[in-house]
Amino acid sequence: MKPDVTSDLTIDPKLDAKIPAGPLAEKWDRHRFDIKLVNPANKKKFEIIVVGTGLAGASAAASLAELGYPVKNFCIQDSPRRAHSIAAQGGINAAKNYANDGDSIRRLFYDTVKGGDFRAREANVYRLAQLSNHIIDHCVSQGIPFARDYGGFLDNRSFGGAQVSRTFYAKGQTGQQLLLGAYGALMRQVAGGMVTLFQRREMMELVVEDGRARGIVTRNLITGEMETHTAHAVVLATGGYGNVFYLSTNAMASNVTAAFRAYKSGAYFANPCFTQIHPTCIPVHGTFQSKLTLMSESLRNDGRVWVPKKPGDNRKPKDIPESERDYYLEAKYPSFGNLVPRDVASRNAKDQCDMDKGVGETRLAVYLDFADAIKRHGEGAIAGKYGNLFQMYEKITGENPYQTPMMIYPAVHYTMGGLWVDYNLMSTIPGLFVLGEANFSDHGANRLGASALMQGLADGYFVIPYTIGGYLAGASFGKTHTGSEAFKTAVNVAEQRVQKLMQVNGRRTVADFHRTLGGILWDHCGMARNEEGLTKAKGMVANLRKEFWEDVYVPGNAADFNQSLENAGRVADFLEFGELMIDDALARRESCGCHFNTAFQTEDNEALRDDENFCHVAAWEYAGDERSPLFHKEPLTFENVALTQRSYK
Amino acid sequence: MSWFYDTIRTSIGKKLLMALTGLCFCLFLIIHLIGNLTLYGGQELFESYVKHLHALGPLIRVAETGLLTLAIIHVSTGCFLVWQNWMARPVRYQVNKNAGGRTIGSWTMPYTGFIILIFVAIHLSNFHFIDHDRQTVFQAMTATFTFLPYVIFYTLAVVVVAVHVSHGFWSLFQTLGANHPKYMPAIRGLGILFSLLVAAGFGFIPAFVGFIMN
Amino acid sequence: MTAKTINLTLKVWRQGRGEPIGRLETCRAENISKDMSFLEMIDVVNEQLTKDHQEPIAFDHDCREGICGMCGAVVNGRPHGHERETTLCQLHMRHFSDGDTIVIEPWRARAFPVIKDLVVDRSALDQIIQAGGYISVNTGGAPDANSLPIPKDTADAAFVPAACIGCGACVAACPNASAMLFVGAKVSQLSLLPQGRPEAAKRVSSMVRKMDELGFGNCSNETECEAECPKGISIIQIARMNREFFKARFS
Repeated sequence: MKPDVTSDLTIDPKLDAKIPAGPLAEKWDRHRFDIKLVNPANKKKFEIIVVGTGLAGASAAASLAELGYPVKNFCIQDSPRRAHSIAAQGGINAAKNYANDGDSIRRLFYDTVKGGDFRAREANVYRLAQLSNHIIDHCVSQGIPFARDYGGFLDNRSFGGAQVSRTFYAKGQTGQQLLLGAYGALMRQVAGGMVTLFQRREMMELVVEDGRARGIVTRNLITGEMETHTAHAVVLATGGYGNVFYLSTNAMASNVTAAFRAYKSGAYFANPCFTQIHPTCIPVHGTFQSKLTLMSESLRNDGRVWVPKKPGDNRKPKDIPESERDYYLEAKYPSFGNLVPRDVASRNAKDQCDMDKGVGETRLAVYLDFADAIKRHGEGAIAGKYGNLFQMYEKITGENPYQTPMMIYPAVHYTMGGLWVDYNLMSTIPGLFVLGEANFSDHGANRLGASALMQGLADGYFVIPYTIGGYLAGASFGKTHTGSEAFKTAVNVAEQRVQKLMQVNGRRTVADFHRTLGGILWDHCGMARNEEGLTKAKGMVANLRKEFWEDVYVPGNAADFNQSLENAGRVADFLEFGELMIDDALARRESCGCHFNTAFQTEDNEALRDDENFCHVAAWEYAGDERSPLFHKEPLTFENVALTQRSYK
Repeated sequence: MSWFYDTIRTSIGKKLLMALTGLCFCLFLIIHLIGNLTLYGGQELFESYVKHLHALGPLIRVAETGLLTLAIIHVSTGCFLVWQNWMARPVRYQVNKNAGGRTIGSWTMPYTGFIILIFVAIHLSNFHFIDHDRQTVFQAMTATFTFLPYVIFYTLAVVVVAVHVSHGFWSLFQTLGANHPKYMPAIRGLGILFSLLVAAGFGFIPAFVGFIMN
Repeated sequence: MTAKTINLTLKVWRQGRGEPIGRLETCRAENISKDMSFLEMIDVVNEQLTKDHQEPIAFDHDCREGICGMCGAVVNGRPHGHERETTLCQLHMRHFSDGDTIVIEPWRARAFPVIKDLVVDRSALDQIIQAGGYISVNTGGAPDANSLPIPKDTADAAFVPAACIGCGACVAACPNASAMLFVGAKVSQLSLLPQGRPEAAKRVSSMVRKMDELGFGNCSNETECEAECPKGISIIQIARMNREFFKARFS
């Protein structure tokens, strides 16, 4: 069935982004004034559920509790501190202009919109740039040990091709330090009794009553019990869906389930085909590889990317003479060379491997060679710059990159798509807010480095505390309780799904299905897509899903700590979600940012946008299990930037 | 004083008690050793040292009471810590392996401590709780150390003390918060030196008295 | 060149939920690629167990890049295995030999009750942080980040203990199941920074009291914790906490 795109001419009233009027720079200020406030004494009457404890979730839960709202906070791991925000390495952007190099809120805004290939909302991105400065102030006051210079002031580095130094960092562990700051703030509120923490819980269903999000059903991952929680508003901060590809740089537990359940309850899913693929990861070593490890893309500053000229060449790198090496990036992009943006570098590596010029055992890797840099600057200088990365590489691969070229390959890293939200970060379900990577709002079709941390914290610390008040103050709530019809139905649905998974009793393992799904999407809905491949993949995913429900085997029992069952539920949702991604990729008949449809490219093989027809957000509405999702669009208008074509020649 | 009680009953407070009493015992060992070194100068020198010591009269009583109090604190706190630490891991590991942090001194602390307690009791009954009118300390000593099993027992006991001190010495600095990358290696070294000194200084006395002086 | 795969015998601690005690059970790990991580090796074993309709081994894990602190088991008597400064997910099978027998046990401490197999409940560590492992600042009121210069050496020194991933290996490694290195790391980080000074005294007193309440053992300076810490955090942080504690209590 083809997705129904006939509705795209009618603008869905639900997709009103509620962007405040006025000049760009004043919108947020005005909006904060216009938002209704909740009387301080009334805040304790409004219960808020926050799902997720990453940068967005922890910061939101803590900030809302500080305001006086009773918060229930849920996480899938044993502690809020495990959320995958912790793994972010590089840094966090802010328009402080401490480096005096011409940065400004407007420049950060512009870079982000352009980096996203003009598929993000201007007003949201501008607000993000404005709030970036407050984030740094707040994090410093929380005791985050950012890097400093000898004068005692904060140090900045440049990142991701930006022309200014605006990235604040704490060694290679910025995400960890920021998350632990938010976690500390959250723990403070737990101690103060304002936040009740629920660890090892998975959100199974969203409960919508009288058209409003009023609670969730969770599964206690230790006992297997279904638990119900009521609230006046539900905040999802459940991260991205990169694990739909099976192999990604995400943590093992990262999943789409919470977001997908919300989608099935009526929230629209925006731009699901926008997934970022990072070029410098440690390549896959074999079938049982469970995850991919990212290495900072700064490596490309000194490393030279090459493959053998001859396809199928399996000589050792040192045996391949200079004349038989293909430095394909340098040849193809003489001015940017090895420093082309992430998507371009990734795509080219894939192309080389597709031509059977890949290297290593799996032939899915390209060399990143430091021999020239070591010859020029000496081993000491290279060790000073990349010592820790070389060490990490050696730890994982057992090879010494000072002596033999590194092998790298692209990996799924971040998902720009997510649940559709308006300017208030509220989804199409009133009372359901979505923050951080789980929403779609700020990065368009491609995210710039060091912007994910910025968005998560901006949403949690500085946006939701205001906008949720506006919703709560303006809504009238009926009484609800966990015994209501809506809750009973939701529990029933969740329980039945679990029962169904346990009862299939087939022969294949959950991981087996997940790996197959990942392979299909990586091949056909990954770095480069085309209509033929996508159509084929759609059928494959549908078949795989059918097979899953006929042949999966989930060991153990449902009323127990059962990790296979947890995974089975997540993979079941990925199997449906994967098709939605493909639908979205098929519907976007242009190339933009990470979404590279081979039919739409410039002469230089760059993404060719179609601003006339596709300058919009694609928002998908669930229409039933047996029906194709409904397509809606939110047009994007750019009043403050000119739409241009990227070029890196 | 409730703040004081609150402080010493915490885990760090108990460690503080162990460290401070341990520090006192280290000082006591030094004084004791200096006194005993007079033995190597012959019977006369030693007996004059004993006489001068006993002439201090009430001061000695104060010191003895002090040492007894310290011992009670050190032993009772130690026992409590061992019990608590045992309770903190009700199911033990099937495989135990050292990562390189533990030393003979550190892992044997409770055992060496217990042996030292017995040793001190015997030592006191040999030389302290005797009728000093009938027998001088020196006579008691020569009587004891001509008996070979005693010589062996005393020598081994002193080695046990040295092992106990080899961990206790640097450890008390760590507990008191005196750990700095610049100075800790020196403190660790000093601890080893101190325990060797204790072992050598005290350790040769029984044999010296038993076989050389006689 | 040596073989690319190895075969191993695993003796894994199996303990059902609610069972007071478990037992070591033996299973085989066949054709394990030396490039796999330890957790991927368990994945392979679990896949086989599942195919044989047996219950897979429950174990905690998440990021698999050594930063989230979720994974951890005692391998042949060593928390996170025998490689220095390495989490279990970053321990690779090339460090084992064909035919090895590997004993895998959960973290063992009264404060970390076993949930199932190798999975333990480490919420005690969260409770310690709740007792004061933060700086009490509400969102919104912070002054400009550069209004408070902090000497680079101080910031760098605070970063060292801040690298703690809260995995609990220090507790697992400690012969007394003490959490002093974990607490010392957080106390040190926050007491070194000027932002953390105002509540330094209250923080250290309250975190130490909470640690004691939760049933961790006492520190006896065995230094096994620093030898096993995957982030190489030193007992210097414990000494600093002791100083902070005495300062707080005796002044």
